[in-house]
Amino acid sequence: MALRGRKVAIGVLFSASGPYAAIGAEGLAGTILAIDEINASGQHDFVLEAQVRDPQGATENYAALAADIVATSGARHIIGCTTSWSRKEVIPLLEKSNTMLWYPCPYEGFEAHEQVIYLGACPNQHVLPLLEFALPRFGADGYLVGSNYIWGWETSRIARDAMEAAGGRVAGERYVPLGDVDVDRIIEEIRLKRPSFILNTLIGPSSYAFLKAYAELGRADSSFQAALRPVLSCNFSEPELAQVGAAAEGQIAVSPYFQNLATEENQQFLGVVARLAPETEHVSAFFAQAYAAVHLLAAGLSATGTDDTKTVLGAVAGRAVSAPFGPMEIERSNNHAVLTPRIARATSAGFEIVADQCVAIRPDPYLAHVATRSAPHASHLRVVK
Amino acid sequence: MTRPAYTPNFDGKKALILHRPHPVADAITRQLAQLGIFCDTCWPAISASAAGSADLIFFDVDMGHDEQFPWEHGQAPLPAIALIGSEAPGRLAWAISLGADAHLLKPVGSGGVFTALVIASESFARRAAMHSELDALRARLEQREAIAEATACLMLQGNMPAEAAYAQLRREAMTARLTIEAMAEQIVDELRAGHVHHRS
Repeated sequence: MALRGRKVAIGVLFSASGPYAAIGAEGLAGTILAIDEINASGQHDFVLEAQVRDPQGATENYAALAADIVATSGARHIIGCTTSWSRKEVIPLLEKSNTMLWYPCPYEGFEAHEQVIYLGACPNQHVLPLLEFALPRFGADGYLVGSNYIWGWETSRIARDAMEAAGGRVAGERYVPLGDVDVDRIIEEIRLKRPSFILNTLIGPSSYAFLKAYAELGRADSSFQAALRPVLSCNFSEPELAQVGAAAEGQIAVSPYFQNLATEENQQFLGVVARLAPETEHVSAFFAQAYAAVHLLAAGLSATGTDDTKTVLGAVAGRAVSAPFGPMEIERSNNHAVLTPRIARATSAGFEIVADQCVAIRPDPYLAHVATRSAPHASHLRVVK
Repeated sequence: MTRPAYTPNFDGKKALILHRPHPVADAITRQLAQLGIFCDTCWPAISASAAGSADLIFFDVDMGHDEQFPWEHGQAPLPAIALIGSEAPGRLAWAISLGADAHLLKPVGSGGVFTALVIASESFARRAAMHSELDALRARLEQREAIAEATACLMLQGNMPAEAAYAQLRREAMTARLTIEAMAEQIVDELRAGHVHHRS
């Protein structure tokens, strides 16, 4: 069906309320900003119509709301989901209804669905470059702390492989129930074990509580200051930094996008934010990636004159486009974005980029092409001769 | 506590898909490419060259039959993944009898191959280790007789009790850097050949 003169329904499925509202709101804001910008520009001969639903952070709400979007609006494309659990929940609906999910968040990898476009970083674009930066500087004996679900488990597991390959060992590994802010015992264990660094895959309030408690430890014992034993994060973003404040200063994060990125593309993008959403206080990778997703989708709709998922994917994959974080491309073989990881240090003025090799890394969601360990598989099976 | 799993890696491996040309084979091929695995699709027979160079095999259960495989029934020398469409018990029994290490249900979409590979590789490794352990145990069992015979010979020869004869057998095995079973066989063979040694 030709799109000329039509309103094209676009599903928007982020949790702007609930336990990870701070991050969900970023995705929502980036999506809405891009839709408003595209509609106002009149650059396409169709108008995008946002079909917004809020699953409130409850995994069980996602599939039903996605189905509702498809049934009531006929949308073929949904921008949304933050956690991997929520993404997994909507996949059966995507398959049944031939709908595409544009997923704008970093995640732990090991998936490449034909009806999902992954705009966030996967492990060879987040935790591995982060450790590549950190291991030579701080040592390889890291402490792993995360929220007790797949993101924390899997990111820590990959980090363990990388640390051991570098001759290090895991100083400790702890998981905290989602939303739990009781981190005293973990801080005490870190104080005793004195790891080279802490890899933090906690999310939301748990992460903020941990960063504050660790800053306290740094004040009591200067050997735990960020410059010596930093906390490294793959999912610590601008609005969260604003929330934690000075306690996070000096800690390190990796992301393809930081608000302070000094590129022409980012200046342009921040200009659009200031013009169309002047109330915006902070812009994060979640925001920028959702924004980039909508633009890529609109380009695909415009180029093909249809919202059929396979046709649109065929038009957008394998082509370099401009995004707030620089040139971006969706890899044809796995639907993931080619991204440039940047390492930044938290300061009172946001994230200051300390390492940007400006090297775009092709997505390798199954870590098929990177060796994360040097030792051969130590089988538990006895070799019998 | 056991160490958490390493990231399984299949980069550079070669797979064989025993399936007629079909979207199922295409979907598997696409997933294998993401894992760095090369693959050949063949049907109905496996060519000798393909069988020789493959590291793992996906085989169709719906239309498959014993004669397709160039190895003894149930003795696949590589991790084998059953591609199952019909869940009819007869077909499932055939897949099991063939020694499937893991399975994938048809239709195959965007996922499942990595899981099947990881499970099949692990269960193949267990299968191989179990077989070689069984072989070794069988061989040792067969050699038990030789130990009994050699002990008896040494008892007679040295006019000593069973315990002392066995201890001597063990000592000689250690000196010769042989297993006790091999040493026993050597002693029995020597005696049968008519050599009478005065052992000390």
